[in-house]
Amino acid sequence: MTTTFDPATLPNLQQQKKMHPWRKRTTKFDVSVAIAVAVPMVFVIALFLFSDMPGALVFVIYLPIQMFASGCAAVATKGNRGIVDSVIIVNAVGASIFTFVVILSVLWSLVSNGLKALSIPFLTQNSTYISPSTPLEYGGMAHAALGTLLIVTISALIAVPIGIATAIYITEVRGKAVPYVRFFVQSMSGVPSVVAGLFILTTLILTGAINTSAFAGGLAYAVLMLPTVARTAEEVLRLVPDDLRTGALALGSTRARTVLQVVLPAAKTGIVTAIILGIARVIGETAPLLMTSGKNDATVTNPFSDPISSLPIAIFENVAQPYPDAVSRAWGAALILMVLVAILFTVARLLGRTKVK
Amino acid sequence: MSTAEFEQSVVVLEEEFSTPAQRGPVELEARDVSVWFNTRKVLEGVNLQFPKNTVTALIGPSGCGKSTFIRTLNRLHELLPGAALAGEVLYEGEDIYGPTKDPVHIRLNIGMVFQKPNPFPSMTIRGNVLSGLKLSGMKRSNHDEIVEQTLTSAGLWNEVKDRLGHAAGELSGGQQQRLVIARALAVQPHVLLMDEPCSALDPASTLKIEETIRELSKEITIVIVTHNMQQAVRVADYTAFFLAAENEPGHVVEQGRTTEIFGNPQDQRTLDYVNGRFG
Repeated sequence: MTTTFDPATLPNLQQQKKMHPWRKRTTKFDVSVAIAVAVPMVFVIALFLFSDMPGALVFVIYLPIQMFASGCAAVATKGNRGIVDSVIIVNAVGASIFTFVVILSVLWSLVSNGLKALSIPFLTQNSTYISPSTPLEYGGMAHAALGTLLIVTISALIAVPIGIATAIYITEVRGKAVPYVRFFVQSMSGVPSVVAGLFILTTLILTGAINTSAFAGGLAYAVLMLPTVARTAEEVLRLVPDDLRTGALALGSTRARTVLQVVLPAAKTGIVTAIILGIARVIGETAPLLMTSGKNDATVTNPFSDPISSLPIAIFENVAQPYPDAVSRAWGAALILMVLVAILFTVARLLGRTKVK
Repeated sequence: MSTAEFEQSVVVLEEEFSTPAQRGPVELEARDVSVWFNTRKVLEGVNLQFPKNTVTALIGPSGCGKSTFIRTLNRLHELLPGAALAGEVLYEGEDIYGPTKDPVHIRLNIGMVFQKPNPFPSMTIRGNVLSGLKLSGMKRSNHDEIVEQTLTSAGLWNEVKDRLGHAAGELSGGQQQRLVIARALAVQPHVLLMDEPCSALDPASTLKIEETIRELSKEITIVIVTHNMQQAVRVADYTAFFLAAENEPGHVVEQGRTTEIFGNPQDQRTLDYVNGRFG
């Protein structure tokens, strides 16, 4: 004998309302949490206002006090097993807030100082005939922004294909040399950026093979970008399930077609991330450019002929000057660099969106 | 399936395959196939013949080497690390492991459907069906026709015909499995290997795929690994029973017409297995 569902026998069914029983809390819980939040807060504010303790120290001691208070609240409501939970939550929230504050302060100092310099001429003019003491209304950073774009584009054109090819060798070809290749890629990511610049300087520029130029800077950047792209691409290719590879091979696909038409498209978003991380790794590097692309107050468009300015170099040059206007120019250049990075990332994300075709 | 139904299906199959003449030429044959993973021997001395345009079921408990065996039949086994193999696999009389044989060409003729549906996530439904043509470099002009025909064979056409441009990932598990069957059919293989194609599917989808298998067997040779004994009875002309003792390599205990294996097995272990007493 079984029972069947019959709404007629369940008269209460009509009166049922949507509830969230898991959200129910006792008054004791609410009161404990309120006390645990309020007491440390009041204590810390009082310390800040009425004691001689420096503000930074007050901020530092807040976390342990809050942890203790939350622990007490946890014991009051859930017993001993609540303590670990409360400690982890307070730490996690505290650490997130700390990171958030740090990032916001960096952004804020950048925006508040950089906006002073920002103007139409600043974005469109170069620095020919501009000395550190020239007022802010004259000259701009367009030449440096163009330089950075040129150098980064050149390095990406070199490092991205090689990096992805390396990742494909490691995850798809799985040849005998994989351990050695991985070892070298890993070692390469430890190369200090100044060494990358020195390498290009001594091997290519001083030997007369190439000029101090955007191309030389791009080569130095490529040395730095390559391991980042290769390692990140390797990670994301590894995430592509083997089912897809076997599935493609079972259809009579060659290895090359499997990689190009199945594996890479499946990892497209991740590959874009690898490229972004590679660009992010190099775009602010100053040291290699000091030796390879140099500086130039005029606008240069030929990537092979002349020294060329870039945003990091422009910041480096201006920030140490004893003139407030020069320092403002440095902040402005830094802001442009930030915005440039933001634009690049947005564009890359849009391009990398998984679109099925 | 009730006993009466079972008897009935046995009768039907006996009628269909009563004379040896209908058996036809052997299309695929395994001779003394043994398989290792590193030092562990997982399969020993498998001798099986797969006659043209028939369905052969490989049954047996988990871990007896059925899936490993089926992957040796189109050279997918060798992709796994530590794989080794002895013996021969003859396709149309020639060893597919011969030195001049190209695995890509072999896999084009001997297709495979896997346990887990694996549609390509970066392609649409239509793109998935045609992916085999693209991946193997086949040139065909009648794409629309191929899409409709293979999806119809796989029993999926009516459900997807209005959204061929949608992502394959939108389909349910059962639909995805029928999609990958259509994908495998689009390159027109002569042999189709199926590794537990219905293990993740509901009864309705399973039935549809079984119908597809029966329909396809008129034109191609099918080898299917299954844990579902009723399924073997429903779809297979021949059945091979694999078994592995503990820490021993697996081997074929008994093989023959499905009606014989299920109705009159010679080995006690086969009898126990097909009657659900172990495994």
